[in-house]
Amino acid sequence: MEVKKRLKILIAKPGLDGHDRGAKVVAQALKEAGMEVVYSGLHRTIDQIVNMAIQEDVDVVGLSIMSGAHIPITQKLIQKMQERGISDKLVFVGGVIPTRDIQKLKDMGVAGVFPGGTPLSETIAFLQSVAKKG
Amino acid sequence: MDLVDRILEGDESSVARLISMLEEGKEEGYMAVSLLFPHTGRAHIMGVTGSPGAGKSTIVDKLAFAYGTKGKKVGIIAVDPTSAKGGGAFLGDRIRMRNAEKIEGIFIRSMAHRGFPGGIAKATAGACYVLDSSGKDVIIIESVGAGQADMQISTICDSVITVFTPDYGDDIQLMKAGLIEIGDIVVVNKMDKPGATEVAKDIEFFLVNRTNQPWHTPVVSIDALKGEGIENLVQALKQHRTFMDRDTHARTIKRDKRKNLVLNLLKEETWNAILNRIEEQVDFSEIMEKVQDGTMDPYKAVQLLMRIAVRGAESTVSAKENKRETNR
Amino acid sequence: MAVARYIKDEKDRILDVILESGIHVKPVYTPKDLEGVGFSYEKDLADPGQYPYTRGIHPLGYRSRAWTTRQYTGFGTPQETNERFKLMISHGQTGLNVAFDLPTQMGYDSDDSMAEGEVGRVGMAVDTLRDFEIAFKDIRLDKIGSGLTINAVASIMLAMYQAVAEKYGYDPKVISATPQNDILKEMIGRGAWIFPVEPAVKLVGDTIEYSMKVLPRTNPVSVCGYHIRESGATPAQEIACAILIANAYIDNVIARGHDVDDFVGRFSFNLNVFGNMWEQIAKFRAARKLWARNLKEKYGVKKPENLFLRGLFGGGGYGLTKAQPENNIMRGAYYALVAALSGAQTTALCSYDEAYTIPTPHSALISLRTLQILMDEMGLRDTVDPLAGSYFIETLTKEMEHKIEEEMERINKFGGIIKAVSEGYIQRLVARQAYEVEKGLESGELLKVGVNIYKEGESMEVELHEYNWESAEKQIESLRAVKRERSQKDVTRTLKDLEVATKEGKNVMPYLVECCKAYVTVGEMTNIFRQIFGEFNEPSLF
Repeated sequence: MEVKKRLKILIAKPGLDGHDRGAKVVAQALKEAGMEVVYSGLHRTIDQIVNMAIQEDVDVVGLSIMSGAHIPITQKLIQKMQERGISDKLVFVGGVIPTRDIQKLKDMGVAGVFPGGTPLSETIAFLQSVAKKG
Repeated sequence: MDLVDRILEGDESSVARLISMLEEGKEEGYMAVSLLFPHTGRAHIMGVTGSPGAGKSTIVDKLAFAYGTKGKKVGIIAVDPTSAKGGGAFLGDRIRMRNAEKIEGIFIRSMAHRGFPGGIAKATAGACYVLDSSGKDVIIIESVGAGQADMQISTICDSVITVFTPDYGDDIQLMKAGLIEIGDIVVVNKMDKPGATEVAKDIEFFLVNRTNQPWHTPVVSIDALKGEGIENLVQALKQHRTFMDRDTHARTIKRDKRKNLVLNLLKEETWNAILNRIEEQVDFSEIMEKVQDGTMDPYKAVQLLMRIAVRGAESTVSAKENKRETNR
Repeated sequence: MAVARYIKDEKDRILDVILESGIHVKPVYTPKDLEGVGFSYEKDLADPGQYPYTRGIHPLGYRSRAWTTRQYTGFGTPQETNERFKLMISHGQTGLNVAFDLPTQMGYDSDDSMAEGEVGRVGMAVDTLRDFEIAFKDIRLDKIGSGLTINAVASIMLAMYQAVAEKYGYDPKVISATPQNDILKEMIGRGAWIFPVEPAVKLVGDTIEYSMKVLPRTNPVSVCGYHIRESGATPAQEIACAILIANAYIDNVIARGHDVDDFVGRFSFNLNVFGNMWEQIAKFRAARKLWARNLKEKYGVKKPENLFLRGLFGGGGYGLTKAQPENNIMRGAYYALVAALSGAQTTALCSYDEAYTIPTPHSALISLRTLQILMDEMGLRDTVDPLAGSYFIETLTKEMEHKIEEEMERINKFGGIIKAVSEGYIQRLVARQAYEVEKGLESGELLKVGVNIYKEGESMEVELHEYNWESAEKQIESLRAVKRERSQKDVTRTLKDLEVATKEGKNVMPYLVECCKAYVTVGEMTNIFRQIFGEFNEPSLF
């Protein structure tokens, strides 16, 4: 018997940066909003993150980047996702992101950018709209 | 079926997607599992259960690593609770499996139980079949970990490991009754903490006093964090597997497991089907109003609702039969 | 961002104030309140410089000496760092503070795949002794002390500091290093951990034990409540964790047979300053008292000067906002005022734009002036602990003391700080609280200027460092050159000695010094530890 589709999302902390307050807050918010959240833990490589995305068959991969390295990291992720055949999964990026980089990220294929300070309700609304389409 | 072939070849993406289909209850998912089913039975499916804080994730991690270093192909399914409010879930077990992650070809999947009782998800059995047919030698299931509520894990596992720690204190009496019953191997974790030897002795005493058990449940003391005793656990699992393969009683045990699995799944399906049907009925809301107002006692309410349910089922059955008739 | 919760009526009259730590603030305080909490000048306060040091650790406070301030340096290559050091010393700075890049903090060499994109980004890249030789060239290490913001590999960096000092002809007994070296807070709130809790604490103990004999002017541990507060802890929890963490390190060293009086006097604390100002002031005063009492009663510390809570009260990063950044200048001024009223030995302010941009010389100057105005113009040097005796402040300080003890009790009941950190108890607690704060801000239950009230004004644009790929390449080249030039025999020998000593549970410091002198890399030394200790298994969030 078919059941209602739940949005499954991976919140990932790539690279060496250890600031995870934001990622953990978003994870809790998304769970309360009815989503299934997998949290990657700190210090993950792109390969590890892509493996998780595949095995967990998530709908969305969320990167939390506080180190300023969002452009090269996101580029690498999107490339790897293409190589492993999971480009149908959405990517969103949050953290310390200058406004001028938002379009750059979207041009790379990122579905949503949520710089620090974005209200949780906005992030949740975006993901819920994505769930309806998917 | 393309998906089925890819799974038999071990393609991870396909394995993951089929598991998702099963979680969503998709018809094509069930069809694929039927085709894969003949290819199952090779993997040793083990479940790890016990109360929160017992160290299940650490044990799963170390156990998977131990098998991996022996060259076995390992799959892990970690089940977590779905929140009753809102239906979301935090799937946070795999973060604890950094050692297992290092193993070549390890497959780790988190699952929310989505309301299914008994410590596993509805799709967990199916996920095991998928992993089994994709070539895994060992599949480890980490149950939700609500303690006594995790009883259903034995219906899908060959071997159930129940975990205790010395932290339990008075709860041990409650724990014993249910959890020890379903354990094929009992593990006492954090063995260097005070009270660990006492707990192990308590449990052994309880087990020894059970009569007519074809399998003698061993008690293995370990320190999962330090990785001590894991090899003993692997040995115990090996012995249990041999028992399940060769012992005459094992046949009955397996038959019972399969039957109970179906009954448990059926319970869920029928409940959902009935609820859907009766919720639509006008009498349902009328009866529920009276119940909530406190003007009708619960037993009478249930009697009336059962009649509606049966009535609904009958009309469904006859509708289906009519359909078949007209389709002939 | 965390603030007190205000219950107001529709006329904006305040009906109740609930501080983050859970204490309610009354409209008016009188001598009756002091009676109510059993306040006694002799027992609860005493004079400044007298046990229990609530009023301050020095009898004359800022009258004898204004507070010191810190400015972080270190970025890019050791060469760039050396230039910056010399510049600051020429400006009168009497101590250096070195920041390290993430690969160094995490024990990876600059040419490791894990280091990609991070070499020299947030601090100086250090791979071998050669980098320290460049960074500290022509620096009078006998006169200038160095703060090293390093934790997981603090033992390695301290060994390297000794090695470079010896190389430049200084006696280890005269050099002064202050490694941050607080690994437990990393696991709670900063994330730069490598090894599991027990071996990590053992390494902290090794550095303390070693310093006692060989590097007597080292301040081996700076316990950081700061980051725990940044992660979502309440002020009371910040202090509770800090004291328990300090105790964990003390326990490790006294278990080796040492006398606590021989080392605890060189501990310092790094505490946060954002939040409701009364709560912060009460927190710092209560912290001094509790720390002194903890050392006296639990550990039997005898020397009075060893009972001091020497503290950097500052930072306040989480209190600053991206919205209306100029507001952060005022916040900085208020935080500095709080630190001064609380008797901080040292303070440091986040530049108003620091969380999101490269601190400009302009914003760094604003911070400096803020601190100078307080000390030299506003009268904060005039008298010690000016708020003492206030019915409100003394009542609140006592209540804060109880709150902190409650939080300590809670952790002890769980099984102690080591267990709480290993199993994620504290991490889960602060993460949940962080979420509640976020929800509170979004619902308007908690108010923050510029964020959900008084929102007219411009937000700040985030300006980030351009990553200097060239610098990174240079560093990698330099590393390769060192590896070519060094004696492979010495490397193998010293690493083997380190391995054996580590396995035998010996103090690793002397072996690390030998490795550094042989130009063994940070990564090579860390890998020995990784093999033997394993890696910290991050606890689950829920």
